[in-house]
Amino acid sequence: MIILAIDALEYTLVEEFKCNNLKQTFYGRTDISEFSEPRTMVLWSSFMSGKNMEAKILAKGNKEMWNTQLDLEETFFRYYDNPKIIDLPGFNYEKEHHDMERMLLKKYFESNSEDEKNTIKKEYNNHSFDHHKKIKQEFQNALNGSHDFVLGYFSVADVIGHLNFGNRIMMKMIYKDLDEIAGSINESFIVLSDHGMENIGMFGDHSNYGFWSTGSMDLGTPKITDFFNIITK
Amino acid sequence: MKDTNIMSEEYGEIRIQKDLITKIETRVKETGFESVEEYVTFVLEEVMKEIEEEEPEEVFSEEDEEKVKERLRALGYLD
Repeated sequence: MIILAIDALEYTLVEEFKCNNLKQTFYGRTDISEFSEPRTMVLWSSFMSGKNMEAKILAKGNKEMWNTQLDLEETFFRYYDNPKIIDLPGFNYEKEHHDMERMLLKKYFESNSEDEKNTIKKEYNNHSFDHHKKIKQEFQNALNGSHDFVLGYFSVADVIGHLNFGNRIMMKMIYKDLDEIAGSINESFIVLSDHGMENIGMFGDHSNYGFWSTGSMDLGTPKITDFFNIITK
Repeated sequence: MKDTNIMSEEYGEIRIQKDLITKIETRVKETGFESVEEYVTFVLEEVMKEIEEEEPEEVFSEEDEEKVKERLRALGYLD
């Protein structure tokens, strides 16, 4: 089983940019309406546990929320002999890297100088693109390995989108790259995002639905917590 | 005839996958271009022109910035 977990993959852009590998045969939106906000950590934790984890995670507070790490036994990964999960929020999120992202985001919004903002944005974007290259390689290595389950989590569309969603050229480049990654997978796989993205001017906010696709089954409008049973069946 | 006088211009080198070069070589035979380099240069110039025409001027409004800050706080990204 292979899962391409793409944070903030937006349904309307997958269509607009004709990402046929990401679409596969069946694709649609997920229903995340049970959650008060489309929070990354809450949604991925709910995905892998099959339960709505919002209350439990929010009780930790905003800062501590980002340190959530579910045990293997709390997730559906436990049903596999040799699972490989890469950088998934709520499981094995690369803390240092993602803390830096949020630090740069904060620095950007605290700055009052346009020049300084541009400098920070360049650093923020480069940090995300460098991480994306690393994750791509790790994912390819995992696909060539002997795992019975591989999940690659890609954050680039979300991270870049927050400060650059209005830059269509940049977003198209990212979506084309993600589409190429999907095209490189030679076995059946699921594409899933926690939420999508929508414009606030040139910036990006989380939208209230995610994206899914499969090569073999029409899932309708599944809840993110439904994937626990969909995958383990 | 190919202009061999390159003393007044600067050129760089890039690498392209061989199977793409083969496709371009086949294409070039059907066009008025004299070489793969000439064809690739033309295509890249056209693409760059299109991108420059498409690229919107990035305008960040204070109102949008305040809205997105509020949203990022609600999502847990900012304190």
